[in-house]
Amino acid sequence: MSSPALHRRRALRLAAAATATVLGVTLLAACGSDGDKSASGSDAGSDGKPVALTFWGWAKGTKDVVQAFNASHPNIQITFEEIPSGNAGGYAKISNAVKAGNAPDVFNVEYPQLPDFVSQGAVQDISKLVSADLKGKYLPQSMELTTLGGSTWALPLDASPQALYYRKDLFEKAGVAVPKTWDEFKDAAAKLKAADANTRIATFFPDDPSTFEAMAWQAGAKWFGTSGDSWKVDMGGAETKKVADYWQGMIADDLIRVQPSFSQQWTASLQKGETAAYLGAAWGGGVLKSTLGTDPAANGKWAVAPMPSWDGQPASGMLGGTTFAVSKDSKKAKAAVEFATWATTTPEGIQARIASGASSAYPADPELIPVAKAAFKTDFYGGQDIYAIYQDAAKSIKPNWSWGPSMGATNTSMKDAFGKLGQGATVPSAVDTAQQATLAELKNRGLKVAG
Amino acid sequence: MSGATSVPGGGTPAAARGGPAGTPAPRRRRAPFGAPVVLLAPFLLLFTACTLIPIGYAVYLSLFSERRSGLGFGGATTQVFTGLGNYARALGDAAFRDGFWNTAQYCLLYIPLMLGLSLAVALLLDSALARAKRFFQLALFLPHAVPGIIAALVWTYLYTPGISPVIDALNSTGAQVDVFGHPLPAIVNIAVWEWTGYNMVIFYAALQAIPREVLEAAVVDGAGPLRTAFSVKIPLIRASVVMVGLFTVIGSLQLFTEPVILHDVAPGVVSTWTPNMYAYSAAFERNDYGLAAASSVILALVAAALSFVVTRFTRGRDEKRAGKRTPKPTEHRTETAR
Amino acid sequence: MSSTLTPVRPAADTAAPPRRRPWTLSKTAVNGALVLATLYTLLPLGWLLTASAKNTADLIGGRSLGAGNFHLGQNLHDLATTGDGIYFRWYLNSLLYAGIGALLCALICVGAGYAFHVYGFPGKEKLFGVVLLGVLVPTTALALPMYLLASQLHIVNTYWAVLLPSLVNPFGVYLARVFCAGYLPGETLEAARMDGASELRIFWSIGLKMVMPGFVTIFLFQFTAIWNNFFLPLVMLSDNRLFPVSLGLYTWNAQTHAFPEYYPLVVTGSLLAILPLVIAFVLLQRHWKAGMTAGSVK
Repeated sequence: MSSPALHRRRALRLAAAATATVLGVTLLAACGSDGDKSASGSDAGSDGKPVALTFWGWAKGTKDVVQAFNASHPNIQITFEEIPSGNAGGYAKISNAVKAGNAPDVFNVEYPQLPDFVSQGAVQDISKLVSADLKGKYLPQSMELTTLGGSTWALPLDASPQALYYRKDLFEKAGVAVPKTWDEFKDAAAKLKAADANTRIATFFPDDPSTFEAMAWQAGAKWFGTSGDSWKVDMGGAETKKVADYWQGMIADDLIRVQPSFSQQWTASLQKGETAAYLGAAWGGGVLKSTLGTDPAANGKWAVAPMPSWDGQPASGMLGGTTFAVSKDSKKAKAAVEFATWATTTPEGIQARIASGASSAYPADPELIPVAKAAFKTDFYGGQDIYAIYQDAAKSIKPNWSWGPSMGATNTSMKDAFGKLGQGATVPSAVDTAQQATLAELKNRGLKVAG
Repeated sequence: MSGATSVPGGGTPAAARGGPAGTPAPRRRRAPFGAPVVLLAPFLLLFTACTLIPIGYAVYLSLFSERRSGLGFGGATTQVFTGLGNYARALGDAAFRDGFWNTAQYCLLYIPLMLGLSLAVALLLDSALARAKRFFQLALFLPHAVPGIIAALVWTYLYTPGISPVIDALNSTGAQVDVFGHPLPAIVNIAVWEWTGYNMVIFYAALQAIPREVLEAAVVDGAGPLRTAFSVKIPLIRASVVMVGLFTVIGSLQLFTEPVILHDVAPGVVSTWTPNMYAYSAAFERNDYGLAAASSVILALVAAALSFVVTRFTRGRDEKRAGKRTPKPTEHRTETAR
Repeated sequence: MSSTLTPVRPAADTAAPPRRRPWTLSKTAVNGALVLATLYTLLPLGWLLTASAKNTADLIGGRSLGAGNFHLGQNLHDLATTGDGIYFRWYLNSLLYAGIGALLCALICVGAGYAFHVYGFPGKEKLFGVVLLGVLVPTTALALPMYLLASQLHIVNTYWAVLLPSLVNPFGVYLARVFCAGYLPGETLEAARMDGASELRIFWSIGLKMVMPGFVTIFLFQFTAIWNNFFLPLVMLSDNRLFPVSLGLYTWNAQTHAFPEYYPLVVTGSLLAILPLVIAFVLLQRHWKAGMTAGSVK
């Protein structure tokens, strides 16, 4: 469903979210948590045997979450299968299993890919199993993304508001204040470069359209919409154009580094202080910490700030984020939803994810933020209250964004076009390429396109 | 290259060229029905199941497309016969054509370089001056023991500024080396590293088999070592060179592993950088089995056509040269008798 | 055995008659060039050797190895414990795929090659022609169709999906036929027939024994091919408990981007993964050389 690099990106996002999914659960289970109060009402077989569920995901530590769930839920027994992380084709394997009729009952899928899976007929409509009460627990912008064509298709695990990670020392040395707007960001980039010719402010990830997509979303673009039973694809709107031109300008002026996300080059350049900031999302805090934290000298140098915006007012898109979906042919949807609910809305489930201290994922259920916050140690960020920044950013996520039904094709074509930056392609032309590829893909699938 | 998975010889079916020296085949006999069937059946069954049927199935699949309706949410998916539509889509897709173009550029750079290097090393090793021949052979052959994926991973490190001692040494001399900005040479280098030693061994073996009298005659005629190499030795092992070339072409068309690894670090290596990656991406990223099947079939056809051209071309040359029909693969005895 | 297939020039470098001088190439130049070529081939392996003893920060920071930062033991320990020791399961899988696959493949190839050599039957050469055509079909172009088919048959994500295609090697059949022509004196077979041995028995107890060197060569080639294969398992397998080591390392390499602690695992894992083949090549030089020579001699 998406290319290796994207997969990697996704994999790591999911991994970051669920990394942690681990130690805490076992711990809590051992402490005799009362996590099974929600177990009543599961569709245990009439013979009294526990319902057997299969669950596929690839995030590190998911296994332990499942163990904890199993320990506290005698009437549901989950068998977890770790599938290859995105880049080895995790999504592809799910699609294939659905086609072959041996899909798991539950699996993890990220927001952008959910419509693709729904459109493939791989996912089950769980509207009837999700109460209004439950829906109300999640951040509305998250719930919006799991609601397609009026039905609910998945439960969100985390939200991923954008955030700016930066090196305090490098910014100070260059006399740069934390930028609030994109204009200030550009000035800051120029100053940092002037202070040290080898330094760039941040990185444009040519292998990862999702960062660019979050930027377009933040600017107020709406790429996908529906009218009646037709799709509307609008990647050429004024907001997108503004964002594309901006980043093209940054690249053309050599104010930003162009390197693949989370590559060795990127890591090495952060480690050397040649790149001073990282344009990421909430989950990125944990990734950055574990990537650079191995070097004791890096501790305390980094800080988190709200993402710059166009008008200086808080604004955010979302960069990734994971959901739990139930596969089309599963006969155990009720138990599956119960598991997904437990994993996404109970302190037990969430604390489990965060407790290893490596994940800074932002729970889609805001009630659980204190749990997440307590578990993530922020020495790397000089003890800063980073969840406060995330929380404000989450509130500012622009509503009404939706993903298209063929994000695999959209992202692949955009990424491949980004790969040719500097060899004839520009950011705006790449976006245009992606729009054309998306329209062709929808047409090929027999979907209606308006306009 | 991930390529040569089932072409271990890399070199030269004597088949296409000539037979092995050795004892003459026993008198062919019509055996009792059972034995040949029992001996052949496992191979033929597997060959059918793993080569013929998949090809047939791919051709079949390539004729269909999936269609959905409305917004595509919850509606039915139908299989529609689209004839050659998938072929038209593949061939009409610039990305697919670019893949062939990349492969062609890769072949133009890689094949002469690798063949030249392995020939040169084989000739050096074959010269009377070389020492420690067994050691050199083994050391040069060792990369073949490294799976393509590991070779690509290691070279990726060796390409990364800040990690690689090689790049850092180059950069400290003032040269700003940006390997990831030039993925083609980066991939060619990995392939050269993997295959030069392997093919060198084939050439070396062929060189060793040149009858001594021929070389002595050349020396008597006053040819120096370079002259001997170019006008006596290379022409005599031409058959090996051509066959290695053929297998290298087939292998090059299958290029997958190395660009997939570089794809992670070099944005210029797009997800459809080779035709094989295109087919993979169609199947696993876009779930478009019809397109995947069609592009696989096209790739197989191109490979078949190229092999045909290469063998035809060399056969024609041989006929002129030797003034005789090149024997069929199986005519060992005629060849041996010659 | 190489003398059977490869008439090696008798002691060319020592017993050759004195050649005319002046040489255009000096001894130093020739051996120097060979040393350079060897440096090129060994450099990445040498880097791998030192890198596998580094921890993440030293690896990414490009720091050189010293006594103070030698972490090979730690890396091996991590390799053995990460994911409940899944790495060694991959290793066993690889040994299984490559070992069993190559053994059966060699047997199947020798059986078929023997039949092609010993018996005559209608359409034989045509059939052999088809087999040779099989040599020319790119295996990765086949992997995807095989996957589509296996998916239809519901055998994707099983050992079979990787093992069965590994048993087919048309080139091995060709090689086996060549070897049979080289090693099987017709008289011996005739003698056995006179003694009343059945055809299969003759193959099993005489034919197979006599072409054993060829068998080993085909085995070695196929073992290498399966051990190094990546595309087929990539498309066929999703359960990481079935992965061969190549695919496992690939997925770990993807993890490095979120979890840098995987970097040393991938590097050290790579080193261990090439050991069996390196050892096999060093110990079995005779056999791989013979196999590569078999075809190339005119």
